[in-house]
Amino acid sequence: MSDEQRATSDGRRPAEFPPGVARPGPVLSRRDFVRLLGASAALAGVYGCSRRPDELILPYVHQPPELTPGVPQYYATAMTLDGLATGLLVESHDGRPTKVEGNPDHPASLGAAGVHEQASVLQLYDPHRSRHVRHGAQQADWDAVARLLAPVALGQRVGARGEGLRLLLEPTASPLTVALLARVRERWPAAGVHVHAPFAAPDDGDALLPLPDLTRADVVLALDADFLASGPFHLRWAHDWAVRRGAGGGPSRLYVVESGFTPTGATADHRLAVRPGELETVAAALLAGVRAARGVTSAPTAPTTADEATTAWLRAAARDLAAAAGRCVVVAGPRQSATVRLLARALNAELGNEGRTMWYVRSPLLGAGDASVGSLADLAAARDVDTLLVLGGNPVYDAPADVDVAGLLRRVPNTVHLGLYEDETARACAWHVPALHYLERWGDARAYDGTASLVQPLVAPLFGGHCADELLALVAGEATPRAHDLLQTHWRGRAGDRASGFDAFWREALRRGVIADSAAPRAASAPVPAVVPPPAAPPRAAAGTLEVVLAPCPKVHDGRFADNAWLQELPEPMTTLTWGNAAQLSPATAARLGVESGDELALGAGGRTVRVPAIVVPGVADGVAVLHAGYGRDGAEETARGVGVRAQGLFPRAARYALAGVTVARTGAHHELALTQPHWRLHGREPVRVVAPGQPVAREDAAGGTRRRALPLYERQPGAPHQWAMTIDLDRCTGCGACMVACQAENNVPVVGPEGVRDGREMHWLRIDRYYADAATDAAAAAPAGPLSVAQPMLCQHCEDAPCEYVCPVEATVHSSDGLNEMVYNRCVGTRFCSNNCPYKVRRFNWFDYNRDLGDVEALQRNPDVTVRERGVMEKCTFCVQRIREAEIRASVEGRTLGPNEVTTACAQACPTRAIVFGSLTGAGSEVARLREDPRAYAVLDELGTEPRVRYLARVRNANPALAASRAPSASEAAT
Amino acid sequence: MTERRPPAPPGDAPTDAPARATPLFPRWANRAMGVAIAVVFVTVLAGPALLMAWVRTPDLRRQYEPVPQPVPFSHPVHVTGLRLDCRYCHATVERAASAGLPSTATCVPCHNETFMQSAVMAPVRASLATGRPVPWRRVNGVPDFVFFSHAAHVKKGVGCESCHGRVDRMAQVYQAEPLSMGWCLGCHRDPAPHLRPRAEITTMGYVAPDTLGAALMRAYAVRRLTDCTTCHR
Amino acid sequence: MTPPAEAAAVRAAPPERGWPVLRTTAGDAELTDRLLAPIGTTARWWWILFALSGALTLLYVALIGYTVARGIGTWGNDIPVAWAFGIINFVWWIGIGHAGTFISAFLLLLNQKWRASVNRLAEAMTIFALVNAGIFPILHLGRPWFAYWLVPYPSALGVWPNFLSSLPWDVAAVTTYFTVSLVFWYLGLVPDLATARDRLSGTWRRRVYGILALGWRGTATEWRRYHVAYGLLAGLAAPLVVSVHSVVSLDFAIAQLPGWHSTIFPPYFVVGAIYSGLAMVLVLVIPVRHVFGLQDVITERHLQCTAKLLLAMGLMLAYSYGVEQFSAWYSGDVYERYAFLAARPRGPYAWAFWATLALNLVTPQLFWWERWRRSLPALFTAGVLVLVGMWLERFLIIVASLNRDFLPSSWHLYAPTWVDLGILAGSLGLFALLILLFLRFVPLVALSEVKQLRHELARERP
Repeated sequence: MSDEQRATSDGRRPAEFPPGVARPGPVLSRRDFVRLLGASAALAGVYGCSRRPDELILPYVHQPPELTPGVPQYYATAMTLDGLATGLLVESHDGRPTKVEGNPDHPASLGAAGVHEQASVLQLYDPHRSRHVRHGAQQADWDAVARLLAPVALGQRVGARGEGLRLLLEPTASPLTVALLARVRERWPAAGVHVHAPFAAPDDGDALLPLPDLTRADVVLALDADFLASGPFHLRWAHDWAVRRGAGGGPSRLYVVESGFTPTGATADHRLAVRPGELETVAAALLAGVRAARGVTSAPTAPTTADEATTAWLRAAARDLAAAAGRCVVVAGPRQSATVRLLARALNAELGNEGRTMWYVRSPLLGAGDASVGSLADLAAARDVDTLLVLGGNPVYDAPADVDVAGLLRRVPNTVHLGLYEDETARACAWHVPALHYLERWGDARAYDGTASLVQPLVAPLFGGHCADELLALVAGEATPRAHDLLQTHWRGRAGDRASGFDAFWREALRRGVIADSAAPRAASAPVPAVVPPPAAPPRAAAGTLEVVLAPCPKVHDGRFADNAWLQELPEPMTTLTWGNAAQLSPATAARLGVESGDELALGAGGRTVRVPAIVVPGVADGVAVLHAGYGRDGAEETARGVGVRAQGLFPRAARYALAGVTVARTGAHHELALTQPHWRLHGREPVRVVAPGQPVAREDAAGGTRRRALPLYERQPGAPHQWAMTIDLDRCTGCGACMVACQAENNVPVVGPEGVRDGREMHWLRIDRYYADAATDAAAAAPAGPLSVAQPMLCQHCEDAPCEYVCPVEATVHSSDGLNEMVYNRCVGTRFCSNNCPYKVRRFNWFDYNRDLGDVEALQRNPDVTVRERGVMEKCTFCVQRIREAEIRASVEGRTLGPNEVTTACAQACPTRAIVFGSLTGAGSEVARLREDPRAYAVLDELGTEPRVRYLARVRNANPALAASRAPSASEAAT
Repeated sequence: MTERRPPAPPGDAPTDAPARATPLFPRWANRAMGVAIAVVFVTVLAGPALLMAWVRTPDLRRQYEPVPQPVPFSHPVHVTGLRLDCRYCHATVERAASAGLPSTATCVPCHNETFMQSAVMAPVRASLATGRPVPWRRVNGVPDFVFFSHAAHVKKGVGCESCHGRVDRMAQVYQAEPLSMGWCLGCHRDPAPHLRPRAEITTMGYVAPDTLGAALMRAYAVRRLTDCTTCHR
Repeated sequence: MTPPAEAAAVRAAPPERGWPVLRTTAGDAELTDRLLAPIGTTARWWWILFALSGALTLLYVALIGYTVARGIGTWGNDIPVAWAFGIINFVWWIGIGHAGTFISAFLLLLNQKWRASVNRLAEAMTIFALVNAGIFPILHLGRPWFAYWLVPYPSALGVWPNFLSSLPWDVAAVTTYFTVSLVFWYLGLVPDLATARDRLSGTWRRRVYGILALGWRGTATEWRRYHVAYGLLAGLAAPLVVSVHSVVSLDFAIAQLPGWHSTIFPPYFVVGAIYSGLAMVLVLVIPVRHVFGLQDVITERHLQCTAKLLLAMGLMLAYSYGVEQFSAWYSGDVYERYAFLAARPRGPYAWAFWATLALNLVTPQLFWWERWRRSLPALFTAGVLVLVGMWLERFLIIVASLNRDFLPSSWHLYAPTWVDLGILAGSLGLFALLILLFLRFVPLVALSEVKQLRHELARERP
C-alpha cells in the first residue's frame, strides 16, 4: 500500500458500470434539461412547496390483519455460505426486504450479521440475475426441465441404476437436501454425487470440526486462522473472543502465526509472519515447545526453526500456552494442511484444553466422512456421463487450474445448471435454471455447530426460479415438487412426535428462526492420529520465486458476490482496496522486486501465468504474495465482469491455497488502484491510542505537555430528555467491515464505482481507517511481533461544538436538542464549506446524481424511512436518526418513556464484537454513559475542542513480558 | 478635495458644431427619460416583492381546490349524517405514520344493501370483482423529504380538524391548510393553543378553553419540537 | 506615434524625477479628437482578438451549462479537497477587481495627479473582473438554483441564512462592491459620454451616447455637483476596497483548517488583491497605450508609479508570507507545523509553493532599479508573472491546505479535469472580450479629467 497514488493509470476499468454508479452518460439528458427548467422555476422560490403533483393512493382491497402500511415487519430466516448457515432477522417494508439483521437466538449470529449477510439483500434485487430457463440458445421453461428429468426419460438415458447420472452440489448441511439426496440415490443407486466449493470448511478425515469455547480462553493461538473475521462461525467466535477480552481479570492474549495479514492478525497481541511452507514446522516446534515447557520427557528440549527471533517468539508463546494449560486454545486455519490441523489438535490435547476450551462436533456438511461423495476432480475424470446436474456453484470459474471442468461439460450431453446468474458455468451447460435467492425460497439449513433453521421467503420470486431441493425431488421421481411442501413433509416426519404437534413446532421454528435443541452433540475430545513429523527445517524458497497464497476475498468471497456493488466498493480490511484484487507483498519483498503498489506483476507457475497489480502491505511474510479469489469474472454479471484478476487460474489441485516456487516478473504496466485510504502513516498524530492492560489513556500529547483543551464559548442550552452518544472500543474492533455494509443498507448510501473511489468520492458514511506502524521508520515493525496495525471506525462524531455547523450559510447542518449534528438535505445548497471545516472529513457529497441510474428493481431495496439524496447536497452519518425518531414516536404512542439503551444504530447492531455501543447518556443504566467514563475512553482530536459525542476506547496490547522487548505498544511509536 | 474649482467646461459643447443644426432629441425625450428611470426602479423593487407574495398564495399549493374522487364519497353524509368516527375508515391514525385509507372491503358491511348497485358505487364493485384497489386521489400531501406521523400528533392531542379543516362540511375534500414549513413551525414552536383532549381528537368544530393548552402540554408531555430531524431525515 | 519613435521619446526623456504626468502639446480640441479616436476602431488586430476571446467565451458558456446539467462531479474536486478551481478563480478575479477602484478612489482622495489617464481603464478592468468573480461562487454550488437562499429575505420556509457563516456576508460584500464600482465608473463616464455625443458623427450613435450621457450639458452647476458626488462615491468606495477582500478572506480564516485558520488573512488578502490588480493594470495599459499611440497621455510616469506600487505591495505580501510561516512554527501546534513547515515546502504541491514564492516575491524586486521600471517588456512580463503567481498562491492556500488536514486517513490528492481548465480559460476569454468591447465603444481615457489636468499643469508651470 503506497502513499497517495495518482500515477498515470492505463485506465483499466470494468467494461460496464455497476447499478447505481454515476456513469459519464450523455452530456445533457432529458432529465438534465428538466432540472434546468426546474432551476428557473426554483429561482421563483417555489421549490419544496411546488404545486402539489397529482398522486394516487391505492389502499388494499382486503386489508391483511397483520399488516399496517408503512410499518416494517421482521421475519426470521437463515443464509448459508459454503453450506453452513447464519440465522437472520430480515426487515420488510410493505413486502420488500430492505435490511438484514442477525438473529440473537441463533448460535452463529447472536444478533450480529457479517458483510455477506448484510449485502445479500442487494443481491436479491440484482438486475443481472438470470430470469428464464434456458436450453441451448433458446428460452425454455420449467416443464421442459421436468420432462428432461422425468424418471422414464432419465432412466432411458442414464440406465436403470443411474450409472450415467451425476450430481454436482455445493457443500450443504440442509437436512431436507440431504434427505432428498438419499431418495435420489435410492432411485438411482449408481448415480454419482459430488461436492465442490473452493473454500468449504474441511473436516479432518474423521468428520470432526473444532468448536473452541473462546469465552474461557485466556490465551489464544491461531495458526493462520482468521477466525475473527472469516469462516462460517466467525461472528460467534468474534463475539466470544470479545467477551473474554473485555472481561475482568485482565484481557486474554492472542498469538497469531500467519502468512498474509488478516484482521485477526492485526488484532493479535503478538504476531509472527511466516511463509506457508514454514507453518508445519512452526506448529511442530510449538508442540515440542509446549511439551518441553510442561516437562514431558519424551519431547525434544526446545523448538528450533530457521532464525533466532522466530525461535524466541515460539519458545515464549509455548511457555505462555503451557502456563495457561486448560485455559488456552489453539486454532488452525481451514486452508492449512491436515498436518497443521492435527498438530493443533495435539496441542490442545497436550494442553488439556479438551472439554474445557476446546470441543469437537460432527461436521453437518454433506459427505463429511462419507467416501461415497466424490470431489470435483473425480467428476472431471468420470467417463460416459449422460446427465449432469450442477446445483449451484461456478466450477468452470473456480475449479483448480488442473481440473478440466469445461471439457467435462462439453463431454456430457445433458448438463443442467442451477444458479442465480448466467455465469461461466451456466454458459458451458446445455440447460440453465434460474435459482431462487434465499430471501425468495423455502428450505432449511444447519449452522457450523449443527443447529438447524428453517429458511422462509420474504418476497415472491422476483424473476421466477427454483431451488436445488425441487430439482432433486424431480430427479427422485416427484412430478411437481414444491419446496414448501417438501420442507413440511420432511419436518413433519421429524417433528411429529413433539407433544405440541407439528403446527406449533412449525410456527415456533419460523418465529425463532432456530429449531430447538437441534445442535450436534459436543465431543470433549478428538482422536489424534499419528502425524507425519514435518521437516525440522522448512524447505528454503528457491531464489527469485515467491510463495503465493490464495485466500477467499473478504468481500466477494469466491466470486459468488462479485456482482454486488456494495461488496465491490467495500474497502478490503487491510488495504482499503476496492473494485479489484492485487498481489499483497511485504515492503521488503516489494523492495527486492523493485515494485510499487500498482505495478503489474506476472506470476507464473506450471505454465500458467496471472497478471496482477502489486500492493505493498506491511505485515505480509517476506517472500510471500497473497491473492484474493473471486475476481476476473466473465459471466453475465455486468458489475463483476472485468473487475480484478482471476487468481484461481494459478493454483492446481495439489496446492489449492498455497503454491511455492512461483516466478515473478514486472510487466511494466501500472494500475491506479482504487484505494479509499491511500495514506496510512500517522505522522506523530494520535487518532488511535494503544495502552497496556489496566493502563488509562495518556492525558499528555505527543510532546509530553498536557493536552490543550479549547474552552467552549457558549453555555450549552438545556437539551431534550435524551442525549445520544456512541462509544467504539478499538480493542474489540477487528475492522471486518460489517458495520460499513450495514450502514450502507440502512441509509441508502449510493455506490460510486472505481473511478469515484480513485477520485476520492466514495460515499460511505462510516469508514474504517487502517493505520500502520511505518516499517520504513519503525524498526520494531520489522520485529517478529509484526507491525502494529489498528483499525478505527470513523463516522460523524456529532461534535457538541461542531465546526461544520457555524460555517454553513443556510443552516442546512445544525445541532439538535438531543445532541445530534443534523444534516438537512433539502436545505443544503452544496457550498461544501462544512466538509472543508470538518476535521474528521466524514462528510460525503453527491457530486453526481448517483441515484439517477437506479433501476426499478434495485430501487426496491431502498429504505423508505431515509431520504434518497439528490445531486449537489452534502450527506453524512445521522446516528440513524430515523430509528431514534421512530422509537420516540413508538414510545409516546405506547405512553411510556424511552430507555437509554433502547435505540441502536445499524452499525452497532451489526457489530459481532459489540465494539460499537450506542445509546442515550441520560437515564439510569445507560451503557454508553458508563463506557464514556472508562479510563480507556478518549475523543479523537479532542484538542480541537469539538466535544465529540463519539468516544473511542483505546486499543489494549496485552504483551507477553518475554516478548514485550521486541515491541513496545505505543501508537506514537507507530506514528513516527 | 481642496478648492477644486470647476474650470470652464473644457472642449465640449462647441456652438459651431454642425450637429447642433437639428436637435438630437425631441422635447418629450426629457420626460421620457425620467419615466424610464422610474420604471426601472419600480420593477427592480416590485419584482421580488411580487414573487414573495405569490409563494404565499393558496394557489401555489392548490389549497381550497376540491379534488374529484372516483367515488363521490361524501364526508358530510358519513360524518355529520351517520355520525361515523373518522377512525372507522382511517383506522391506523393512532398507531402508524399514515392514517390509512379504508380497504374496499370496509365499505361492504354497510353498503351491501344501500347504494351498492348504484352507478356511483361502480368503482367499488369493480374493485371487489377484480381485486384492484379503488384509485383515490391524494388531497393532503407533503414532499418526500418530510416525514409526518399521524400517530405522534394524535397522541399529543392534535385534532384531525387542526390540519384537515372541517372535513364534515366538505362535499368534496380539499386541502384546508397551506401545509407549508412556515405553517408547521407555527404550531411546533407554540403547540399549546392547538391541543385538545384525546377524547376530542375527531370532534369537528371543537373549541378548547384558553387555559387547557398549558395543562395538556404537561399531561401529554408535549415538547416544542423544532429540531430539523423531527421532520427531515 | 510609431514604436521606434516612441522608443526615441523614452530615451530622450529626462531622468525620472522630472517626468511629466502629461507630455502632450495638443490643445483641448485635438486632445479630444485623439482620445475619442479609438471609438469605433475596426483594426484587424481588434477583430482577431475579438474572434479569439469570443470563442473562449462560448466555451465558457458551454462548460457552465455542462456543469449545471451534470453536476460539480465534472470538476476535479473530491473529499477532502471540496473547494478547488471554482473558489481559486473567484478569489483571483475578485483580487484583480481591486486595483481599479484602488487607483481611482484612493489616488483621487490622495489627490494624485497621475491617476487621471489610467483610472478609466483600471475601473473598467475592475467591473469586468467582478463579472467573472460573481459567476464562480454560484457555479461552484452543488445546487446553484438555490443560491438565493444565501440572501436574507423573509422566506415562506420560515428560515434565514446563518449569519455566523462568512458566506452570506461574502455575498453582501461582493454585490455592494460591484454596485458601487459600477456607479463610480459610470458617473465618471458621464461627461465623456456627453463629449462623444457632441463630437462623434452618426445620428444614431450620437443618440445612444446622448441617452447614456443623461443629458449632461457641462454647466458650472453640473460640474460642481458632479465633483461633490464623485468625491463622495470615492469616499464610499475606498473603504470597500479594504472590506471586500477582508470578508473574502474570512471564507477561509473562520475555518479551523491548518493553512486557513489565521488572523493575518484579511490584510494579507487585501494586499494580495491589490497586488494582482496592479499587475493586471500593467498587462492592459502597456499594449493599449502602444496600439493607440497614447504614450504622451499615459506616460512612463504612470508605469513608474504602478511599478513602485507593485514593489511596495510585493514587500507587504512577503511580510504576510513570513508571518504565516512564523506563526505556524511559533504555535507549536503539530497540525499547523505540518501544514506550513512540511506539507507546503516538501509535500505533493511543493512546486506550487516554490513557484508562488519565486513569482510573487522575487519578480517585483526588479523595480528597485529605475532601468527596469523604465523597460516596457520588463514591466509587462512582471505583470504576467505576478498574475500567474497570485493564482498559484490561491491554489496553494485552498488545495494544499485541504488535501492534508488532521487525520492522515482522509488525505487525498487533487487533480483538475478538462472542465476546470476550460472554465478558467473561458473566464479569461470573457474578460478579454469585455475589455475589447470597452476599447471600441467607451472613451478609454477620462477626457475631461485629462484636459482639466492639462489646464492645472499649465497653471502650475507657466
